[in-house]
Amino acid sequence: MASSSMRQFRAMLRKDIVMELRTKEMLMSMGLYSLLTMVVYFVALSQAGAGFDPRDIAAGLLWLAFIFTSMLGLNRSLVHEKDQGCLEALLLSPVDRPVIFFAKAIGNLIFLLVVEALTIPVFAFLFLQGQSVDVSTVALIPLVLVAGSVGIAGVGTLLATMSVNTTGKDFVLAMLFIPLMYPLLLGAVTATAAAIIGGPEGMSLFWTGMAWVVGYDVIMLLASYGLYEFIVGA
Amino acid sequence: MKSHTTRAFIALAIGGVLTLAAFLGAFFWAGVPDFGFVRTAERTDSVRYQGPFDQEIDEARYLANFAGYDVEVVAGGETVRGDLVEADETHVTIETADGEVTVSAAEFETGRVRGSSYGRPDWGQKIFYFHVPVAEISFIVFGFAAFYSIRFIMTRRREYDIKARVSMEVTLMFVTLTMATGILWTKAAWGVWWDWEPRLTTYFIMTLLVVAYFVLRNSVEDEERRAMYAAVFSILGFIDAPISFFITRLIPSNHPVIERGGLEPPMLVSFIVAQIGMIALGYAIYQLRMGEMLLQDRIESAKTQLER
Repeated sequence: MASSSMRQFRAMLRKDIVMELRTKEMLMSMGLYSLLTMVVYFVALSQAGAGFDPRDIAAGLLWLAFIFTSMLGLNRSLVHEKDQGCLEALLLSPVDRPVIFFAKAIGNLIFLLVVEALTIPVFAFLFLQGQSVDVSTVALIPLVLVAGSVGIAGVGTLLATMSVNTTGKDFVLAMLFIPLMYPLLLGAVTATAAAIIGGPEGMSLFWTGMAWVVGYDVIMLLASYGLYEFIVGA
Repeated sequence: MKSHTTRAFIALAIGGVLTLAAFLGAFFWAGVPDFGFVRTAERTDSVRYQGPFDQEIDEARYLANFAGYDVEVVAGGETVRGDLVEADETHVTIETADGEVTVSAAEFETGRVRGSSYGRPDWGQKIFYFHVPVAEISFIVFGFAAFYSIRFIMTRRREYDIKARVSMEVTLMFVTLTMATGILWTKAAWGVWWDWEPRLTTYFIMTLLVVAYFVLRNSVEDEERRAMYAAVFSILGFIDAPISFFITRLIPSNHPVIERGGLEPPMLVSFIVAQIGMIALGYAIYQLRMGEMLLQDRIESAKTQLER
């Protein structure tokens, strides 16, 4: 039983990845969107003055880009499923509902991580040139990225499954997603900022932030996993 | 079996009488406190709240609200004590025994509000008897909405969807009242309309979640689907309520917390009566809306029968 679930999971995940590699629609739109966000950041910060230290707000700006980019991607990934009738076909096939949830969520997680991995160097190139950072602590940022993205992808998949069936798709997703994401965002921004600042105080703050994010992940993923069945079947 | 309207009016009468009694008690029986029951939180980046008569201030502009009060300001290593004339982002002017002294905000180190030189009572504290019961009930009613949502998911009976929805409407009302009274109080006590402080922030998020619940409901056309989506979202959203409730006890926060045994008997009695009265008023609104919803249902079914 378990192995057949695993096979179904792999098949669904492969379907998402193959489709994405053929169309490159989600990655392209998310990547370009995050690039556009960087342009908007530049405009927003253009009057900040010479004494301004971009390291202070780098974490917040990064997560701002991730949260908006992820909403775009989540919406797209579920709109595809719905428009092409794929979700209905999945529901007709003898697949456990949680397997659908995990396949969609992991697919979204992979695309999100790819976009994040592309965004960070671009952001560093555009805004953090010539700034000294502590390499040993900055190396911890991938930890926050993975933990934060797991929460975004998990809860986001559940909420996007709801919002594709509503009349105001994008707006409804934002309205549901951002307030629910608040604890995770706060923890993730705290941890990322602490990693950029570094030092022993930064490290203790980093682990506090990480504890928030991981705690949020555990609670919200369990809730999403338990409730997905009712959403996808409704 | 009494009708919803009868129950609503009974609850309305009880709630009205109790709330009125509580407010009379709060204003004419309970004294104006010296904030001895408020636990203080250490915070260095904003006002440290200790009640208006012994409040430490670490930025000149936060003194603006205490014109006429007896203040003590440390600036440039010297201590100046006297009646506050005015304060803003640039300077603080204090009338001392030797005449007016102006301190620039750059030199300002710390300030302490020693008391009111003309003994103004802290009437702002009276909002406690309204704000706190209303806020507590908003958490409780949100809990009921989540409970009915769980019941709906378990049974899929439409009745529970209606109950959850009406509970959420009552929550929205109480949350709005809490925010309105809270904002008035923060202006009176902290000198600012809003502060991104843990309790205020989490409660604001809760408000957004309650609003989002109705946005979600209004944008789903299919009735069964709407009920299921709303139920799932209210369960997810309810996770924020305990966080918001306990956060002032978990991490440093400016928001006051009632300590066990900290209230004088007249204050405690007025407070408890206000709580019971507010619960009765909330129940009355709930029953009124329930009656209305059931009437709507009857009209709808009568319409469909007539069309046949």
